[in-house]
Amino acid sequence: MTSYLLRRSAFLLVSFVIAMMAIFVLLRLLPGDPSNALLSVTATPEQIAAAQAQVGADRPVLEQFLAWFAQLTRFDLGESFISSLPVWPEIAARLTVTVPLTLMAFALALVISLVAGVVAAIKADRWYGILISAISQLGVAVPVFWVGILMVSVFSVGLRWLPSSGFPRDDWADPADALRSLTLPVITVALVMSASLTRYVRSATLDVVGSDYLRSARAQGSGYTEALWRHGLRNGAVPVISILGIELATTFLGAVVVESVFGLPGLGSMLLKAIEQHDYPNIQGVLFVSTLVVLVIGFLADVAQRLIDPRLRVSISGNR
Amino acid sequence: MKKHIGFVALGLAASLLLAGCATGADSSSSAADATIEIGSLYEPSNLSNFGGGGQGVTEAFNGNVYEGLYQLTDDGSVEPLLAESNTVSDDGLTYTFSLQDGVTFHSGKALTSTDVKASIEAVLSDDSQSARKSSFGAITSIETPDESTVVVTLAERSISFIYNLSYIWIINADATDLETTEDGTGPYVLDEWKRGSSLALTRFDDYWGDAAANAEVVFNYFTDATALSNALLTGEVDIVTSVQSPDALSQFSDNADYVVNDGDSTTKEILVFNDRVAPFDNVDVRKAIYSAIDTTKLLNSIWGDYGTLIGSMVPPTDPWYEDLTEVNPYDPDLAKQLLASGGQPDGFEFTLDTPSYDPHPVVAEFVKSELAKVGITVNINTISADEWYTKVYKAQDFTATLQEHVNDRDVVWYGNPDFYWGYNNPDVTQWVAEAEASATTDEQTAKLKQVNEQIAQDAASVWLYLYPQIVVASSDVSGYPVNGLNSQFYAYDIALK
Amino acid sequence: MSAVVSALAVVAPARRRSWTLVAGLVLVGAVVLVAVISLVWLPYAPADTTGTRLEGPSLAHWIGTDKLGRDLATQLMSGARIALLVGLSSVAVGAVIGITVGLVAAFAESWLDDSISAALDVVIAFPVLLLAMLIVAAQGASLGSVIVAIGLAMSAVVARLTRVLTKRVLGEQYVTAARTSGTRWPGIVARHILPNIWPTLSVNLALQFGVAVLAEASLSYLGLGAPPPNASWGRLLQEAQGTVVTAPLGAIAPGIALIMLVIGVNFIADGLRDVADPARKGRR
Repeated sequence: MTSYLLRRSAFLLVSFVIAMMAIFVLLRLLPGDPSNALLSVTATPEQIAAAQAQVGADRPVLEQFLAWFAQLTRFDLGESFISSLPVWPEIAARLTVTVPLTLMAFALALVISLVAGVVAAIKADRWYGILISAISQLGVAVPVFWVGILMVSVFSVGLRWLPSSGFPRDDWADPADALRSLTLPVITVALVMSASLTRYVRSATLDVVGSDYLRSARAQGSGYTEALWRHGLRNGAVPVISILGIELATTFLGAVVVESVFGLPGLGSMLLKAIEQHDYPNIQGVLFVSTLVVLVIGFLADVAQRLIDPRLRVSISGNR
Repeated sequence: MKKHIGFVALGLAASLLLAGCATGADSSSSAADATIEIGSLYEPSNLSNFGGGGQGVTEAFNGNVYEGLYQLTDDGSVEPLLAESNTVSDDGLTYTFSLQDGVTFHSGKALTSTDVKASIEAVLSDDSQSARKSSFGAITSIETPDESTVVVTLAERSISFIYNLSYIWIINADATDLETTEDGTGPYVLDEWKRGSSLALTRFDDYWGDAAANAEVVFNYFTDATALSNALLTGEVDIVTSVQSPDALSQFSDNADYVVNDGDSTTKEILVFNDRVAPFDNVDVRKAIYSAIDTTKLLNSIWGDYGTLIGSMVPPTDPWYEDLTEVNPYDPDLAKQLLASGGQPDGFEFTLDTPSYDPHPVVAEFVKSELAKVGITVNINTISADEWYTKVYKAQDFTATLQEHVNDRDVVWYGNPDFYWGYNNPDVTQWVAEAEASATTDEQTAKLKQVNEQIAQDAASVWLYLYPQIVVASSDVSGYPVNGLNSQFYAYDIALK
Repeated sequence: MSAVVSALAVVAPARRRSWTLVAGLVLVGAVVLVAVISLVWLPYAPADTTGTRLEGPSLAHWIGTDKLGRDLATQLMSGARIALLVGLSSVAVGAVIGITVGLVAAFAESWLDDSISAALDVVIAFPVLLLAMLIVAAQGASLGSVIVAIGLAMSAVVARLTRVLTKRVLGEQYVTAARTSGTRWPGIVARHILPNIWPTLSVNLALQFGVAVLAEASLSYLGLGAPPPNASWGRLLQEAQGTVVTAPLGAIAPGIALIMLVIGVNFIADGLRDVADPARKGRR
C-alpha cells in the first residue's frame, strides 16, 4: 500500500506540472491580444502601447513562462492583466461559494441517486421503478441551465420563496442567508447530476443482484438483505466510486454554467469573465486551482477503491 | 461520509424552511437610514479610473466617491463642484480656479491645490491609460500659488477645457493602492467591494456639501440581463441603472409597483464604413446604404417602443444637436438610384465585421436582409471584441463593421482622418479644430453644427439609432438620475419613500 | 394506471429492450426528417423579417415570431440541421482522433502507453464544456470551432475506451496467432480489432452525440456558441431567455426539440448496447 501511495502521489505531481505547462503554452499559442480588453474605442497609439506593456505581451513567451513558473513555486498566482489585482485572494474569496455549492449539490445528488438507483434496480418491474428510470432518462437529456431558468421562474419570480440570484455581501456571516442563496443552485445541480448517477447506481445494483457471489451467499444461508449489504455494497461500490470521482470533478467545474444562471460570485463566473477578457493570469489561476482539485479527487477516488478492494490491480494512473 | 451528508441535508432543509418564512427584511426606520440596492451589469475591473476600471467604476464612483472641479449634471450641463469659481484670461489661455473651503478627503486630510495639481498630472503622465489624456494636450503648466488656488496655462484656446475637467477625479495626492481602495471627497465612502458580486458605499459623515439622502448604496452586479430583471421583480434590488433589452420591460411597465424611466442616452449604434476603401470611398454608395436600411423598423425590432433615431453622430443632449434624420431618408428607390450614380448599378458584395455580442449580431442580420432588397450582398463575419480591436481598430483592415460609441460630444472624432473609420474631409478636420479654439460656446456650437451637417451629407457612417437609457425602479424610491450620460449614476439623492 | 405504466414501459429501459431502439429511432428520425425538409422547403426565408415582433402562434407563424419578426418555426427547422451537424461532426472529429490515439496507445511500448493513458486521464477529468470553452474563447465563436472543440474534448473518452477494448481483443488467442503468423498491424486492426470493438464503441459514440448537442446548447447559453446566422437550438434558447414570460413558446419549443433529440440518441445507444451485448439486456 505504501509503495502504491508513493507511486500514485508521484503521478499526481507530475501530471499536475504537465497540465500547468500545457495550459500556459496553449493560452499563449492561441490568437488574440490580451491588451485589447484594456482599450476603449477612442484609444490612442500611446495607450495601445501602454496596454501591451501592462500585460507583458511585449515580452517573449519563454520569459513570461519562466517568470510565471517561478511565481508558482512560491504559491503566487500573479496579478490580473485587466485589474492589476493579485489573483489568489480573488480565487480564495470565490472558493467560499463554489466549494459549498459543489459539496452540497454532490451530497444531495448522491442521496437522491443512491435511493432512486437502488429502487429502480430492485423494483424494476413496479411502476415507480419504471418511473424513476424514465425520469433519469429525461434528466440526462436536459441542459442544466434550462433547469436553472425554470427553477428561478417558479421558485423566485413566481412563488417568491428564494432569491433569484446573487450571494450575501458578508459571505457566510449569516449562514442562513448564504444557504438561502445557494438552495436553488444546489437543487438544480443535484437534480441534473442525480439523473446520470442514478443510471450508474441502477446498473451497478443490477450487476450485484445478478452476480454469482450474491447467489452463492444466499445458497449458504444468508438472508437476501444481509447478503446484499455485506457483499453487494462492497462490490457495487468499486465501480461507483471511480464514477463518483469524475462526477464530483464535473460538478466542481460544471458550476460555470450554474453560477452564470444564478449570478453567484464563484470560480466559474470568474473563469468566464477572464476568458472573455483574455485575462491569462486569472484563467491560469482558476485552472491551477481546479486542476489541482480534479487531480486530488481522482487520487482520493483511486485510494478509496484500493482500500475497499485491495485485490484490485490498479496502475499508477488508476485506470486499467 | 454519512455524517456529512446528514449535516448538509439538514442545512438544505433548514434553508428551505428559512426561505419560506423570510421576506426582504428592510430595517429602515427612516428614509435617511435607508440602504438603496442598485442592480447593474457593469462591475468595475478595478477601482482606478486610469487602469482599465471600465465603465463600472465611473458608474459607481463618479460624483459618489470622487468629485471633479466640475461636474456633468444629469441633464448634460457643466457645473462647478470642487472649484468654487474660476476666471479666464482674455486670451483664453490662463484659467485660475479657487477651490471650495472645508473640503476633506475620506482619509481626513484637507483638500489643497497640491492634490488638484497631482490629480491632473496623473491623467497627463506618460504611463496614463486615461481615455481623457488626449483631451488635455494643450496644458503647458499647472501652478499652485496658494493652498486654495490652481492656475492652469494652455498653449492654445480650448473651449472644452472646463467640460473636460469634469472627467478628472480629484484624488488625495498621498493616496496609494487606488485599485482596491479610494480616497476621494465625495458624499460616500467605499465600504466593501466584493468582487464578482457587489460594491457597497456608505455615507461620508464629514462631507463638505449636502449629505446624501440615504445611508448606504449597494451596487449589485449581474452578468445576465434576465437575472437582473428577476432581481428587480423579486425585490432584491430597488433600481436597475441601465436596462439593455426591452424584453423584460412589459413586466414593469404595466405594474404600479415599478416606474420605467425613458431617459436620454449618448450611446449610438453605428454601421461604420471604412471610408478609405472601395466601394465606401464613394459618397453615393454610402448614402445608398443609409437609404436602403429601414432604421425605424430596426430600432423597433431591437428596442420596441424605446430609443431614438438620429441622422448623425450627435445625440440630442449635446449642445450642437440638430434633427438630421431627413438627410438620408429610408427610401429603397432612392438607394437604387444612388447605387447607379455611385457606379454600382448591379449592387455589390461586402463583408461586415460583426462583434459577437449583443446587439450587433441581430443588427447585422437585419442590415443583411435590408440590403439584399437593393441587390447588395452582405457577408457577416462574426468576430470577438478582441479581434475587433486587432483587426478593425488597430490594423484598420476592414470594409465595414458595427460598433457602439458611448460618449457624449464625440462627433469630433470625425475630424481625425487617422481614426479607424478613415473619414477624411479637410473641411471637417478644420472646423473641428476651429471649434475647439473658439472664444465662446456659441461659436463652438455653430462650428460643430457645421461638422454635424457635413458628415450627414457625406454619410460618413450610418448612425442606425440612439440607444434608449432606461432606468427601472421600484415606485418606493425617488431621486435617481434618469439619463445615462457617460455611464455615471449619481446616487446621493435617492430616497426610500 | 395500467395505461400509464405500459406507456412508461416504452420509454423506460425495463424489460422490452427493443422498444428503446424503436422509440429512439422514431425520435431521431423525426428530427432528421425535419432537417431534410428544411433543405428543400422552409415556411419563410431564414432572414425574412416581415413578421411583427414577438407574435404569438398563428396559421401564418405556427409557433410565432422572434424579436426581429422572423418566423420561429423556420428557425427551429434550420436548427434541426445544425443540431445534427454539430452532433455528427463533433462525433466524427472525436472518433477519428480518439480511435487513432487509442489504437496507438494499445499497440505502443508500455512507457508510451502509460504516458498516453496518464495524459488521457487528466484530459478526461475536465468536462467537455470547459475544454470547449477554452478553445472557443481563443479561436473565436464559430460553428467550426464549436465542433472542433467539442470533438477534441470527447476524443479523450473515445481514446481511452478504444485502448481498453483493443487491449482486450489483443489478448485473444486468434489475434496472437495472427500476429505470430506475420500479419502486419494494419491488417490486424482492419480484420480483427475494428470489427470487434465497433459494437461497444458505437454505443459510446451515440451517447457522445447527445453530450455534444447539450454542450453546444450550453456554450450558446454562455455566449460562446455558434454566432448567427446559425440558428442553433442553443442560440434560440439563449435569445428567447429574456422573453420567457412574454413569449414562452420561443423558449419552450427549442428546449423540447433539444430534449427529444438527446433522449432519442440515448435510446438508440441503449438499444444498440443490447444488440451488441445481449447478455446485458435489461441493464442500465
